[in-house]
Amino acid sequence: MLEVSHLAHGFDRQPALWDIPYLYWQGRSLVHLRGDNGSGKTTLLRLLAGLEAPRQGTIHWTLAGAMSAVTPPCPGRVLYLHQQPYLFDTSVAGNLRYVARWHGWRGEMARDRVAAMLEHCGLAAHAEQRARSLSGGERMRLALARAWLLSPRVLLLDEPTASLDRQAIADVSALISSLHEVGCAIVLSAHQPSVLTERCDEYWSLEQRCLQVSAFKQGVAV
Amino acid sequence: MHELMNTAREALHLLVSLDPALWEIIGVSFRVSLTAILVALPPSLLIALLLARVAFPGRWFAISLVNTFMAVPTVVVGLVLFMLLSRSGPLGELRLLFTQRAMILGQILLAMPVLTAMLHSTLQSIDQRAWETARQLGAGWWQSLWVLIREARFGVIAAVLAAFGRIIAEVGSAVMIGGNIEHFTRTITTAIALETLKGEFAQGLALGLVLLLLALVLNVLLGVMRGRGHQTVSV
Repeated sequence: MLEVSHLAHGFDRQPALWDIPYLYWQGRSLVHLRGDNGSGKTTLLRLLAGLEAPRQGTIHWTLAGAMSAVTPPCPGRVLYLHQQPYLFDTSVAGNLRYVARWHGWRGEMARDRVAAMLEHCGLAAHAEQRARSLSGGERMRLALARAWLLSPRVLLLDEPTASLDRQAIADVSALISSLHEVGCAIVLSAHQPSVLTERCDEYWSLEQRCLQVSAFKQGVAV
Repeated sequence: MHELMNTAREALHLLVSLDPALWEIIGVSFRVSLTAILVALPPSLLIALLLARVAFPGRWFAISLVNTFMAVPTVVVGLVLFMLLSRSGPLGELRLLFTQRAMILGQILLAMPVLTAMLHSTLQSIDQRAWETARQLGAGWWQSLWVLIREARFGVIAAVLAAFGRIIAEVGSAVMIGGNIEHFTRTITTAIALETLKGEFAQGLALGLVLLLLALVLNVLLGVMRGRGHQTVSV
């Protein structure tokens, strides 16, 4: 569950990009965050992930299994993925092994989890390939696999299908949908409607420095 | 010309015949310089990280200071250390003057600005997303720091090679605070200076060849590292 109040943020001494008096989100749905270029979509996602501190207001996450609300960052539980995800300069499997090591998974358990995730995300054939030599779609799938390894509660995706070809969009969208089906709440920003945004059951729109929240039910905004 | 050729032949003979006196000097040089680099690297890395990643008042002044220290002549470092370490100096009690430890200290002071400046530049060029990604995926502070260093590894190696090249070839501080004592503090560069003064050109030339060879090896390695670094950035 996400609770935001009196949130405002801007850069340097410029006026705030937007002002969000109150936002409550159950943290279960697949959300499409919309807005023009420069409307502050990325900034909002980064604030929700705790990568930046808001100029004003509060953000609280109450995650499943937690006793009380916490201020982000929530490493491993609320994850933000950059539009161009950063892949560590190692192999595809190496990127996942980093995560395994940081969480204390060792030996066979780590190997099995990494192998299973690569298989699941269609990257098993590239396991020992240098991560940075992957195509755009494969890079995004690897970033999603790396995140999925931690079974996050919430994923904040910044334009995950931007500058991908049709097939890559389909592959990445399928993976994101699968993640959502296994219980991961997702907020994704996107300019253009796509096969992925059509699957969203809620949308947040940054317009005129405000956040409008709507829910979709069978294609009808309510 | 004929004399020069004879000297060169004699120098090569000294090298390939593994002349003990010659190789002892080479050994002292490498021991002192390698120790200095190993000691200088961790603090330089920490300062470089601080300068590259933490915003604090006076940061640009600190960066300018580091860059200025890179240009300090080696004899000036030798002079300052000589004054500090001589009997009447504030650190005279330590009895370090004319020892390998004093030479290591001098080379640490010479290596640190080069290391810090190059590491700062390397670490500054590492994408901010590397740190954010590692932290979000659950890496601790030290683990994330290690990731940054690993991502910058080619630049780190290039900095170490460049600093090593500078200190092993310096003569000013080595001769002033080492004293050029045979079997103890005589290094490649101080030996070249001495042998030349004595008119023993063959040994001087042989040692000069070692330095030239070392410079070639370091430059090739630097080229390889730079190439790999660029490859890393560009893909």
